[in-house]
Amino acid sequence: MLESIRDFFSGRNKRLGRLSFSDVIIAIIGLIAFVVVWHLSAMILDTTYLPFPAEVADAFFRSFAVKDPISGVTMWDNLESSLNRFLVGFVLAVIIAVPIGLALGWSRVAENATKPIIEIFRPIPPLAWAPFFFIVFGAFLGPVLVIFLGVVFPILSNVIFGVKSVEPSLIDAAKTLGAKQSTLFLKVILPYTVPYLMAGITIGLGIGWMCIVAAEMIGAEGGGVGLFIQNMNAIGRYPEMFAGMAVVALLGIITVGGAGYIERKLSNWMGVSRK
Amino acid sequence: MSILSISNLVKTFPRDKEADLIAVENFSLEAERGEFVCILGPSGCGKTTVLRIIAGLENLTSGEIKVDGLGVTEPGPDRGMVFQEFALFPWRTVRRNIEFGLEVKGMPPEKRREVSQTYIDLVGLKGFEDSHPYELSGGMKQRVGIARALANEPAILLMDEPFGALDAQTRNQMQNELLRIWQETKKTVVFITHSVDEAVFLADRIIVMTARPGSVKDIYNIDLPRPRNRAHPKFIEMRKAILEELEVERST
Repeated sequence: MLESIRDFFSGRNKRLGRLSFSDVIIAIIGLIAFVVVWHLSAMILDTTYLPFPAEVADAFFRSFAVKDPISGVTMWDNLESSLNRFLVGFVLAVIIAVPIGLALGWSRVAENATKPIIEIFRPIPPLAWAPFFFIVFGAFLGPVLVIFLGVVFPILSNVIFGVKSVEPSLIDAAKTLGAKQSTLFLKVILPYTVPYLMAGITIGLGIGWMCIVAAEMIGAEGGGVGLFIQNMNAIGRYPEMFAGMAVVALLGIITVGGAGYIERKLSNWMGVSRK
Repeated sequence: MSILSISNLVKTFPRDKEADLIAVENFSLEAERGEFVCILGPSGCGKTTVLRIIAGLENLTSGEIKVDGLGVTEPGPDRGMVFQEFALFPWRTVRRNIEFGLEVKGMPPEKRREVSQTYIDLVGLKGFEDSHPYELSGGMKQRVGIARALANEPAILLMDEPFGALDAQTRNQMQNELLRIWQETKKTVVFITHSVDEAVFLADRIIVMTARPGSVKDIYNIDLPRPRNRAHPKFIEMRKAILEELEVERST
């Protein structure tokens, strides 16, 4: 996990080279400079809207221990609510995107038939659906579906791309070894697509976190990190508001970094490193 | 009866706003059981197309191909193929690559393991059973390719420039290995190459193809004793004669 966080900061394109000591030092200096600039900005602007880093850090740790005055829950409860929504939306997206992606990548007819529909829906920001989803599906499924939409497209396009990238010689080889369509699909196309799917999942996770906070701010009930940020803003508790943002950032780093880590391990294990 | 019989094979590819491209024209070939046949020709002469049609990976336009008396329409386990670019499944270990065809056949795991071990030993990959293709050198990869094709016990082994991606030294080594495997398994081999040296070293018979549209230009019976010596005057003479013939073909 540490390695993945390190990779996250170092950028994926540099993952071939080991991170040197000086790279780490420079990254740390950058982070310190950021905190200093933030602190100075807060001093100069001198407004309650921009709290000092220390205040935010304090609020961050406090939020996990103390119940907030509006919803009466701790950050742990908010996290649980958000993660629940996130997980349902995410799993739903994977379950739906994988088989559809495989089919669309494989069949030109299926792809041509659905491409216009997908291209119409893809540019619509998931959040634009939020009002509709909340009205029709309620306060739990509403945000779940927003996350679903955010995650489903990157996974879908990656799986389609993966199926299309299968080397023709592998299909030829399988055919000469006696494989018919179904075997070809299960033993060649599917395993070949796994690293592409994982890459789609990594991208989807990043987008998913953006969606969940925004969706919760529009109208979740019973807790959630997005709701927490919204509530703290409403009562002018700005350090807490920023602490909520920090929680989202941290979760994003952990999940995206974790997924990237699994993606690379899996690619290595399967002997298929994506360029 | 010959194991492989090709008569008047024609293959054309449709083109936009142009007449069809004739890739292969009236190609005929008979191969005896256990024979090592090399098909030699200039690049783009359609030799790979011929092999792919024998494999059933491409349809023929007209003509007939029979393997053991039966017409060929699709890929089948009676014809094994070895590819220039190896075409190994990167997520499968050496053993599991070799077992692919056996899995497809539905052979039980214990039996599979037994068969794959036989071929792993045959091609000299003992100790690399659990390696992945990316851990292997080019020569070793092609050993896996050969073992994978042989494990299905095909009547004919089709080889499409199998050593084309290897360096000269490995290439010579693999040629010797292939001859050893061929003599041990007594398979019929149809081997595509554009190297005259390779063809003269390996083949019982060399089919020289014309430039596109490809057809049979000449047939050489190589009756040099095995193991062959590249420095032998007759070897050099044979190579020279074929090279000159190919040279004419390229310049026309």
